[in-house]
Amino acid sequence: MDEIQGIFFEECAEGLAVAEQGLSAMRAGDLSSETIAGVFRAVHSIKGGAGAFGHAALTAFAHRFENVMDEVRAGRIPATPGVTDVMLSAFDILTDHVAAARGTAPLPQDAAVLAALENVLETKGVGVGGGATAASAPATPEAPQPEAEESDEDEFGFRPVGVALDIFDAAEEPVEPVEPDWIIDFAPSHAALANGGEPLLLVREVEALGGTIANVDLSALPPLRAMEPEQSYLRWTINVPASVEESTLTDCFDFVAPDSVVSIVRAESAAPVASVTATAELDPIREDLAEAAPEPSAPTLTLVPTASPSPSAVPPERAPEPAAQTIRVDLIKLDLLLNLVGELVIRNSILADRLTPADQQRVELPELARLTRQIQDNVMSLRAQPIRQAFSRVPRMLRDLSAETGKQVILETTGETTEVDKGVIEKIGDPLTHMIRNAIDHGVEPPADRIAKGKDAHGTIRLSAEQKGARIFVRVADDGRGIDRVRVRAKAIEKGIIQADAQLTDEEIDQLICAPGFSTAETISNISGRGVGMDVVRSNVEALGGRVEIASTPGEGTTFTMILPLTLAILDGMIVRLGGQRYVLPLANVIETVQPAPGQVKRTSPTNEVIDMRGQYLPVKRATDIFDLPGSNRSLEDSLVVIVESESAGHVGLIVDTIDDRREVVIKSLDQNLYPIRGLGGATILGDGSIALILDIEALVASNSFNRFTPKGIAA
Amino acid sequence: MSKLILTVDDSASMRMLLKASLTAQGYRIESANDGEHGLERMREVQPDLLITDINMPKMDGFELMEAVRAEPAFRGTPILVLSTEFSDEKKMRARQAGATGWITKPFDPAKLGAAIRRVCS
Repeated sequence: MDEIQGIFFEECAEGLAVAEQGLSAMRAGDLSSETIAGVFRAVHSIKGGAGAFGHAALTAFAHRFENVMDEVRAGRIPATPGVTDVMLSAFDILTDHVAAARGTAPLPQDAAVLAALENVLETKGVGVGGGATAASAPATPEAPQPEAEESDEDEFGFRPVGVALDIFDAAEEPVEPVEPDWIIDFAPSHAALANGGEPLLLVREVEALGGTIANVDLSALPPLRAMEPEQSYLRWTINVPASVEESTLTDCFDFVAPDSVVSIVRAESAAPVASVTATAELDPIREDLAEAAPEPSAPTLTLVPTASPSPSAVPPERAPEPAAQTIRVDLIKLDLLLNLVGELVIRNSILADRLTPADQQRVELPELARLTRQIQDNVMSLRAQPIRQAFSRVPRMLRDLSAETGKQVILETTGETTEVDKGVIEKIGDPLTHMIRNAIDHGVEPPADRIAKGKDAHGTIRLSAEQKGARIFVRVADDGRGIDRVRVRAKAIEKGIIQADAQLTDEEIDQLICAPGFSTAETISNISGRGVGMDVVRSNVEALGGRVEIASTPGEGTTFTMILPLTLAILDGMIVRLGGQRYVLPLANVIETVQPAPGQVKRTSPTNEVIDMRGQYLPVKRATDIFDLPGSNRSLEDSLVVIVESESAGHVGLIVDTIDDRREVVIKSLDQNLYPIRGLGGATILGDGSIALILDIEALVASNSFNRFTPKGIAA
Repeated sequence: MSKLILTVDDSASMRMLLKASLTAQGYRIESANDGEHGLERMREVQPDLLITDINMPKMDGFELMEAVRAEPAFRGTPILVLSTEFSDEKKMRARQAGATGWITKPFDPAKLGAAIRRVCS
């Protein structure tokens, strides 16, 4: 049952996503019946499942929400922006209710939104304002707060209709030892057999409750020749012991066709206590009944011989489900598989190391390597998920933030189908939250300021994801005021992050907002936190082997880009030596390697060198210098230059001692105390069991000042 | 041979819940995830009883019942509607479309069993 419940919550998540998408589309003016029906269905399904699993609060709220959606769907309430805004706030509460049902959040305060929904229902949407900010629920305080339980009681009530009882006097015919306390008169309509109905089953059910047939009225039975096989002609009088609950009896006749006569009366009194003429409607099985009808036992008296066994007597048989398109797998199992594949890769390397070069060339080994690679790729793809999951909480956050700040924002999202490793998706949630909050808090201006600057009153935040090679780019771009570099610089000096006379480029100043302990907000707001936001973003992203880029134009906006690795686990690497130690260079960055000829590397300034590559000059960096490794005595001509490609600095030459090998390595993350060392992306275990550090090319070449903000410099 | 029931619901959890509670009561269960699929499965498995949801994508429960009743082979097959809807108008429509009975979600397995026995011997 827990498993089915788990699937229900996954369905809830899917339903919520559909509802949110639909509501956003409605808010943007898409009022197609398909969109509205989609939202309705999503809410409806959540309600249905919630009821099945006994989540009363969720059911009650979803029920209210659904009522309004139903009216909108039927066109009785217009989907004005005001009404849609109420729906959006109801959606937010619904999300909270689902979380509460799941046990991951407390029960939300839904009174205000319930009142707003009620208001929409009562006024048919007319009394609902235009909704300037996306999240403001126009709740009327005077509106009565609906009780969660009252919702469907009326609808489930059984409506008795009086029926004259004049056809028999059963009290004078005590045919049974049991006092016939209930007398049922049942005359199925002629059409009772239509729609697959079978009145005889009802008679048997009553018999199973202890009823005995007192009389069968055959007077309506036509001559055999005139008899229609699909019509019903009989009328039963059945006596039932007083001990049977009235509701149990009325239940039996829930499905009788329209125009049937059903009368259930107490034998002592002439007046019917409960009688039903089936009206032109079907009555539901009532859920407020305490007792279910007991299993049918062998009838003591049957009108028609029957050999039908009680269903419960038949041993359960498992029928196969239709072929499944997908299966759900516990993430722990996938992670284990991933770890095992990682180990397999390492063992493969160890094996290769132990073999002679001749043996290494044998067919089995490359074949094994190829297969391992394929398993690896497949396992990685199993973990890949659309980044939509990480994006899904952004719309709500924006609604909350715009309500809180009075700033109006429109969200544009692209690339949400980009697939990323599940681990990455989980870990970019927080950075993404901070980036969005930062954009609202510091980027987007209040409407009045924006209008004064000739911009739209509402700001736009563009959230996008795209894959380029082995990297994922996640961007948060706002069209706000841009980074105030003068203030950032002043603040950094004040905080002692940089020297007062430091010469910084614009990009370097922008990067300062990611420095630990930096905050330029004049008043600390509870939105962007206490100035830890962007610092957290940077360290989280770097922990993932990625980095954050900031591009800002004063007055036009700021773009934060998280550049993340596609996978977290395995890397194609080039093993190089620096100062005698082995390091891993990600092969994805390597363009070519050069044995420099004398004079090919030229010094252009005391600190800068370039390499002449076929007439083109590329900057060169000595990897040993970057890490302050003990100076090797190698001449430049004995070294190698690896030309690497970087996002930020284009092609750069990196001087290394030698190249040892090319290997797939399993990335192990660095311990906390190695975090601050920029230029390192992780560590790995090589085939011989030794440890090698993995170089982060982007961080290495990104800027001359790459370690300027590193507190202590780097000791070897 | 135990009775074969076809359940049609777009929610996987609802299908599983139905399957779990009905197999426990001795029924064989087949399922489909929308009206279109339901009609196909109807023809394939020829069930003793159809239990269908109303609000489903592609083909809803009303359309499914009409399509089922239009086929002579299924004229007498009992159909139970299992839905969160409970308005008289909807029930009337369901009856016209060919429903034998109506059960409101959430369902109590024992009552569902009783309802099934009421329409399907």
